Amino acid sequence: MIKIQPTVVSIILVISFGIVLFFLGTDGYRAFTAESARTYELIQNKPNFPSVTLQDSSNRTYTFDEFAEGKYVFITFMYTNCGTVCPQLELNMAEVYDLIPSKYIGEDIVFLSISFDPTRDDPETLTKYRSYFGSDGETWRMARINDQAELDALLERLGVIVIPDGYGNFQHNTAFYLIGQQGHLIEMMDFTEIEKSSNTVLSYLDNKVEE
Amino acid sequence: MKLAKYGLVLYLFLALPPVANLLESIMIVHMHMQMPLLIASGFLMGRFFQLKFPRFFEKWNSNGVPGIILFIIVWSYWMIPRAMDEAITIQAVEIFKFISLPLLAGVPLRDSWKKLASVGKDITFVYFILMFLIMGWIYIGSESQVCNNYLLVEQKTVGFGSLAIAACIIIYLLQLIFIDQSEFDEVQKD
Repeated sequence: MIKIQPTVVSIILVISFGIVLFFLGTDGYRAFTAESARTYELIQNKPNFPSVTLQDSSNRTYTFDEFAEGKYVFITFMYTNCGTVCPQLELNMAEVYDLIPSKYIGEDIVFLSISFDPTRDDPETLTKYRSYFGSDGETWRMARINDQAELDALLERLGVIVIPDGYGNFQHNTAFYLIGQQGHLIEMMDFTEIEKSSNTVLSYLDNKVEE
Repeated sequence: MKLAKYGLVLYLFLALPPVANLLESIMIVHMHMQMPLLIASGFLMGRFFQLKFPRFFEKWNSNGVPGIILFIIVWSYWMIPRAMDEAITIQAVEIFKFISLPLLAGVPLRDSWKKLASVGKDITFVYFILMFLIMGWIYIGSESQVCNNYLLVEQKTVGFGSLAIAACIIIYLLQLIFIDQSEFDEVQKD
């Protein structure tokens, strides 16, 4: 019989431990950043959109459910003072908006940009900002959530992390969100992939994909 | 044994909530100071475990290879951006950090390094040079946040910090090659 060295046994044990550790720590080698872990978990769990009260650029106040009325809702999170990624995000959103056939717009799907900087993004500011991107203020609205607790709950639920950088700006993760007719999150899409995102949205609108 | 006590003091100091919070609030300090210090505390405490369980180390880590592999695995794990993020947001992960870095990285490093053949040491150095270079490349090059809890600017700082560490290891290896070590070895023996 061959005698196995104890060190060989411990090497095997140690390597197995490493494989298990990395497997558990990355959801089976799928998520190496907390962001990808969140995306993965969100898509698995499909959380409900929490109840929030919106104030839009026309100074109207209503809850999210009153706005959605059982339609699909295409959502982005932004703040108007943002000089980097938000204008790009909203420009890309405008392109998705243009790619969706107009028969669906307002009937089956509405667009919503939510500001997470309610202190500065009042209705006047949002009106100005809206005009830069061709948002009509009806089928694509820009709104803020005045209640900080509601806003925090929403950001937490959808995995949006916003860190103030101390200079009046925010560092935040960016994505397109699609809320289904039942009011839960069904898709998180890469905002740089305009065509892919609009195809995903269309596949729902054309009833090709079951929710 | 005196060093083992210093190690314990260092460990307890690092575990104080205000100290831990402060160190974790800055990304580069979290990754390149708190974590190595935790390993160092384990390294110092390692003597205690060596004296307490001499047969265990002698039997299972006689050539130092399993220990150094464990050290490499555990430290590499904590270089994953997600592990760092979750250490801040999830309590259990934070506890695991405070257990794994001293006990599963520091202690095995202490026990293994002297036992390792020089080729083992060389492989370890090369591994860490590559790891820190790749990390530097990822953290500096990434246009998006790798860690949700830290700003992009901090991320780039970590990248440059990693490059600096890689550079230090390279310089250390170069001086090993180009400077005559025999005199130093003699002084140590005396």
